[in-house]
Amino acid sequence: MFAFDGGYDPGQASHTVLLELRRTIERHPAVQHASGEPPGQFIRVVATLDPVILGSEADEGTLTLRWYAGETADADPEFAFHYNESSDFDCGWHHDPNPHVDGWTHYQERLSADDDYEYETVSFDTLQPVPLLWGILDRLETRLTEH
Amino acid sequence: MTDKSGAELWKEHQSAFDRVRAVAVTVSEPKPADWIAEQAHVAGNTARDHLRRLVEMNVLRTTTGGTATRYEPDPLYTRMQALRDLLDNRTRDDLLELRGNLQEQVEEWQTEYDADSPSELRERAAHADTAEATREMRRTANDWDIIAYRLQLVEDAIEHYSDYAGSTPAPA
Repeated sequence: MFAFDGGYDPGQASHTVLLELRRTIERHPAVQHASGEPPGQFIRVVATLDPVILGSEADEGTLTLRWYAGETADADPEFAFHYNESSDFDCGWHHDPNPHVDGWTHYQERLSADDDYEYETVSFDTLQPVPLLWGILDRLETRLTEH
Repeated sequence: MTDKSGAELWKEHQSAFDRVRAVAVTVSEPKPADWIAEQAHVAGNTARDHLRRLVEMNVLRTTTGGTATRYEPDPLYTRMQALRDLLDNRTRDDLLELRGNLQEQVEEWQTEYDADSPSELRERAAHADTAEATREMRRTANDWDIIAYRLQLVEDAIEHYSDYAGSTPAPA
């Protein structure tokens, strides 16, 4: 992603990805609505989901998407795709510096806000935002169906 | 775990053209057609056809040098998409209010962390007392980069409001 002067702007690169993630996630049948949050700031995308379509029994669910494209054009992105639902269960796929697993990529879940997260190392075929999103939507359905 | 069924899900809900576009407009560096084809789960020739159309539409541009043609988002298109999102359902007054809100957020971070910019905050984060504080400051620096870009967009939108919105602003 290039700014007008030809240089790399991490804010622009990240925001461009967030706009595209908001656009594409609305194509998923479980997604009712997606918006940039907080209103006007747009530092993350929040999608309202119908959990039943994803195999959960909860009434309401949201998926929050954060994306930071990296300080330089060739740096790895930092991101989090985190699911919350009205049952209190929450889980997410994160890629960022963390003390819980070796490396950046992990999955975390907990049954309720009072529990500690359980972490596991995972891997992705791609770090490209849009294919990654669809991979995670697929994994989310698997997790919720098994949960 | 592979994402093969994730790819199937994506193919079910977005066309080949949309997938090629979605991959190509979000690359950080120019990429060749074969790489984009692989990411978008389309055949090489299909990707090349769609990429050619996207270049004609000024969504993408090609870079010269090297052996294969490489594609990257046209910066004007990227800018236009972001401005379009910003201008949707917002009056000039809304934009002025948003500018104030974004500036306030930046000033809050400047005071809280005694840092003038996201990169200065990252430097401070490296020397924070705890690992948790380091992570939190890095996350804030990431948000700050995005807010700084939004602020730049909002200023552009305010300055050119009547051109972009196609109407005369209401008198102040």
